[in-house]
Amino acid sequence: MGTESEDLPLAGVRVLEIGGGLAAAFATRWLTGFGADVVRSDAGSETLTRDEQAALLASKRRVGVGDARLRELALAADIVVEDGVPGALAARGLDPRALRREKPALVVVSLTPFGQTGPAAHWRASNLVAHAAGGILSLTGVATRAPLQNGGNQAFMLLGLNGASAALTTYFGSLLHGEGDWLDISAQECAAGMLEYYGPRAAFDHTPAVRLGNRVNCLWGIFPVADGFAGVCALQRQAPAFLAMTRDPALADPRFLEPAYRLEHDAEIGELVARWFRDKKKRDLLEMGESNKVPMGAVMTPLDLLGNACLDERGFFDVVNTPAGEARVPGRPYLGLAWRAGALHGPAADTDAVAADWLGARA
Amino acid sequence: MKELPLAGIRVADLSMMWAGPFCTRLLGEMGAEVIKIESPRAWDNVRTLLPQPGAPEPWNTSYYFNDYNRDKKSLTLDLSQPRGKELYLELIARCDCVIENYRADVLDKLGIGWDALRRAKPDIILISMAGFGKTGSEKGFVGFGPIIEQMAGMASTTGYGDDGVPYKTGISYGDPIGGIAAAGAVALALIARRRTGQGAWIDLAQRETMAQMLGPAFAAASLRGAAPVHRGNRDPRFAPQGLYPCLGSDQWVAISARDEREWWALARAIGAPELESLELDVRRARHDELDRRIEAWTRALLPREAAESLQRAGVAAAPVLDCNAIHQDPHLAARGSWVELPQPKMKTWKQPASAWRLVEAQPLPRRHAPLFGEHNREILCGLLGHSERELGELAAAGIIGDAPIGAREG
Repeated sequence: MGTESEDLPLAGVRVLEIGGGLAAAFATRWLTGFGADVVRSDAGSETLTRDEQAALLASKRRVGVGDARLRELALAADIVVEDGVPGALAARGLDPRALRREKPALVVVSLTPFGQTGPAAHWRASNLVAHAAGGILSLTGVATRAPLQNGGNQAFMLLGLNGASAALTTYFGSLLHGEGDWLDISAQECAAGMLEYYGPRAAFDHTPAVRLGNRVNCLWGIFPVADGFAGVCALQRQAPAFLAMTRDPALADPRFLEPAYRLEHDAEIGELVARWFRDKKKRDLLEMGESNKVPMGAVMTPLDLLGNACLDERGFFDVVNTPAGEARVPGRPYLGLAWRAGALHGPAADTDAVAADWLGARA
Repeated sequence: MKELPLAGIRVADLSMMWAGPFCTRLLGEMGAEVIKIESPRAWDNVRTLLPQPGAPEPWNTSYYFNDYNRDKKSLTLDLSQPRGKELYLELIARCDCVIENYRADVLDKLGIGWDALRRAKPDIILISMAGFGKTGSEKGFVGFGPIIEQMAGMASTTGYGDDGVPYKTGISYGDPIGGIAAAGAVALALIARRRTGQGAWIDLAQRETMAQMLGPAFAAASLRGAAPVHRGNRDPRFAPQGLYPCLGSDQWVAISARDEREWWALARAIGAPELESLELDVRRARHDELDRRIEAWTRALLPREAAESLQRAGVAAAPVLDCNAIHQDPHLAARGSWVELPQPKMKTWKQPASAWRLVEAQPLPRRHAPLFGEHNREILCGLLGHSERELGELAAAGIIGDAPIGAREG
């Protein structure tokens, strides 16, 4: 593209995004922010909501091309990220194995609910269905009700997050060793490998896991407070500091310092803790946590966070101009390497320019 | 055999608990040599968090620790002692990357932070993963995963909808999210170093990587002042959608009718063809009633039977897999999603294979998590060239060890 700063760590890296779903769009969001020339292939109608477009598509160039031209673009790319159903690329003449034979340095990242192989590979899946198969859903919510999905399409976002990091890792391998690879990443496996200790414990001794709602134990949970909800997550090493911090005579029983005693009287102590939280305010609780080195949290909404001083000080948000106004969305995921904000492009707006830049082709 | 992407990259891993170790597990899966550094006086708390009853060496027999620390080496070093620091910096000179997830001020207080690292290795990459970052007015907050998801907006978006209560995720979701992002940051910094010759200090705030998972909600909040809506298991775009009870206790199937065709197929499958013609807005309005019709059908079936039957009919559906069912899932079994790694102190169990399936290089977990200090000799004598005699002196001084000091007493 020529105009981007050379400081951007992925300047000059070409990424082709095919598929149009949340997972591929999120995976390439970070690549474009760190300077890659991300080209999104628009296939048919837009699958992302306007809010999703604002959050995920800034600075991506967009093309509308036929399958033959798409194949040329794939071979001109360094990284292809796609989230179609298994076999969709091959059906369009872009079989990842064939692309890789033709261009061994190429990295192809395929993101699907269930992966490319296996008896359920072709299962249809919404975010909820993919989330159900990954295990985390079974643990969320309360035991007396149905399991509860996490907000914000987490199965697909988690898939996209893995796609971003895996694409970067494999691309580095391609630079180092001269060969890329084809990545088959499934939403189900991404979740199944991160079940905290509940997963390993079940695998080890088949202990069933119970949905614990908002209270894992008496010193680990989310409680109602005067202006919303707040929480504590004290391990044994923070328990004395938390109990002392409360200055609540009811919580001053020295036996509460013993983990075995707490375990035996979890419900009773939990009620005392809940009572202590009830009249406190979120900001006061956070300050108490900081000065006492106790892990304290408060339930913040995205709206709250848009006004968060710390995030502002750290330059967290990007501004994206949309037809509905200026959207503020999460910008660089970490500090230390150059990042760029960007503008939204219209569908297929860059078809000719990309053909010229990537293929040297005239319109 | 084809090289894994990070073959030849050496990582010094100062991280503990879950966020950092999840990152370095990914790096190990991708071929990096990961050296986990723990002090005999301050070891990774997960080693002894959930001890196996009666295990003589609880620090070596945690399935929790083992799952997230496989394919790593263990070097014990007391970093609070001058000799421990010297050895640490000797090792850093032979590393590409250092990862730590201490609270913001800890590494510098120990005198082993960015400046010391750069003196030891000018192009070193440091990944810091404090919960709220290294700068800013909230850097002093203590950031465990469950706190992160409250403070990043995640908990506010999750709820049944009828009780006004936000819900935490069933796991410490902030930890692995930070870990996955950090693994990508390592690769990105390596790519940048290749181009410029410069190292990098990545300041990754776990709260900020978690907030990335809610990007569209931030767009909605900023454009329209939108507050989170608790939708239970429903979706604004599809109807009906939900989890439906099946035969047995706490058994559920997830079902989504994502378009007209899936709804027609679902209506026929549940024996309600008279509802086939309902359009989306009507289905939304009558969602409770449709849920009861679907539930009347699912209650007589096992989750897998219901899901397979619906998938055959062309409807998006899957059993809700709990932590036991997931290890018995035939699809995951067919994909080789679990591996069993021999461990000298424990029976084997199913551990997840790499979720990053490189189809050609085929990464496979190779080795169980390290025993405490298992690689002291290999690293100190082999890699760094110290003598056996020095090794003995270090052990006598408590700078290295093969058991955490005080752990035997619980």
